[in-house]
Amino acid sequence: MPPPVIDQIQGSRCPQCGTAVVPPARFCPWHPVAMAPVSLTGLGEIVTFTTLHSPPEGFRSPLHIALVELQGGARLVCHGEATRGIRIGSRVAIEAVDRVYYFAHLGALDRARLFWRRAGRRGERLEAIARSWAKRLWKGRGRDTGE
Amino acid sequence: MASVWISGAGMTPFGRRTQSLPDLMADAARAALTASGIEVPDAIVVATMNPEEFLGEGNFASRIATHLGFAYVPAIRVETATSSGAAAIFAGFTAVASGTARAVLVVGGERMTHLPTPRVSEIIGRSIDPYERSYGATMPALAGLITRALMARSGLSAREISQVAVKNHANAVRNPYAHFRAPVALAAVMASRLVADPLRLFHCCPISDGAAALVLTASRAAVRIAGIGQGTDALAVRHRQELTSFRATQAAAKAAFAMAGFGADRVEVAEVHDAFTPFELIALEDTGLFPPGAAGRATLDGETALDGRLPVNPSGGLKARGHPLGATGIAQVVELVWQLTGQAADRQVSAHVGLAQSIGGLATNNFVTLVEAA
Repeated sequence: MPPPVIDQIQGSRCPQCGTAVVPPARFCPWHPVAMAPVSLTGLGEIVTFTTLHSPPEGFRSPLHIALVELQGGARLVCHGEATRGIRIGSRVAIEAVDRVYYFAHLGALDRARLFWRRAGRRGERLEAIARSWAKRLWKGRGRDTGE
Repeated sequence: MASVWISGAGMTPFGRRTQSLPDLMADAARAALTASGIEVPDAIVVATMNPEEFLGEGNFASRIATHLGFAYVPAIRVETATSSGAAAIFAGFTAVASGTARAVLVVGGERMTHLPTPRVSEIIGRSIDPYERSYGATMPALAGLITRALMARSGLSAREISQVAVKNHANAVRNPYAHFRAPVALAAVMASRLVADPLRLFHCCPISDGAAALVLTASRAAVRIAGIGQGTDALAVRHRQELTSFRATQAAAKAAFAMAGFGADRVEVAEVHDAFTPFELIALEDTGLFPPGAAGRATLDGETALDGRLPVNPSGGLKARGHPLGATGIAQVVELVWQLTGQAADRQVSAHVGLAQSIGGLATNNFVTLVEAA
């Protein structure tokens, strides 16, 4: 298992009620108020998930779909390679590959790595290496056809 | 506000039909008009979700009015995804209640079985938020997400959601208009193939053809629309504040009961939107017919069976009567009219007040209609 990669996720936030949404929207779903751009850390919790056994055209079966709540409050729909070990409330990292979001389970070891990564520059370099490695692995997975 | 009465109800059998949608709608409309004794309505409201893609036909209000021989009767079409039929009742109700019309023909239907299942799923999926759809989210996928969250939160069991299918199939055996007329065993439901984990095939409604119609009048008839309400929510499921109950149903029920001036305790029979069997349980709690968390247990205990305390989906529901999108919301009220007037034959229950609940999209645009025997 490659270490998880954390991406920044672009969303928008309502200046009136604080609701954050991904992807960015022009208006808040709850108020006719223009939203402001916000960048959210790709770490969150599984709200719920399913495995679709007859996915629509262009998607591989079985298709794992999860609803994830990011630390910043926004929820997003994403794909995963597997749901083994995943539970409601599981901590996951979100990575964007070709602008498609994927979740990856964060084990205890991964969480420790994240802690060290935040600790210094060397961690960031490691992260960059891990990120490109993981992206190569992810690419082409979960989808039959490109965008 | 003037009273609005239901003076006629009619429908075609649901299932795999060979007739065209205009012919199915004509059969349902003729049956309702005959029952009402009205020859020519003042207005027509047509409900179909997507004839443009299912049939390649548009301008459907004029299509149906002309087909019925009512080319000079003003007609409109309404669309709120899978609750289009209920929305058509709502539009017809406001026309009569406001005095704009004295007799409105409300007719809805869909023709779907001529297309392959993946294509039908794709067309129904048009009612899902485009971003969620780009992740492969279909109606069963979103229902699967909601069901897992519901089971985790309320402790609802696979047995409880499966019993809904068993009960509704048992009711449909007695309904000559139903798509499925064979019973299913609990073990068979629980062993059917996974569609969107934890939802299995027998937890999902079929793809059906069919039509249903009502005649709404300002003149007194056997059944009155006591209350009708609409409720909405964000199109995107990820924006919802609650996943395991539907705000759109709660708001619609609140509005309908407020108009009726009575509460859920008066309801003696219900037709609810069980496109996926857990949705029946959510509907029973969102409308206040059962306290939160109690509907699953009550279903296992037979409280919602035909001979139970509160019969739910005596027609067989979407699950077994079938779900021809634009027809469904109307067919629910047709069943209630028949139940309230002693015309439900082998599946007759004893009731004076009935509730219908219809879901549009993934609960983005829902309706609750309360009907009362005069």
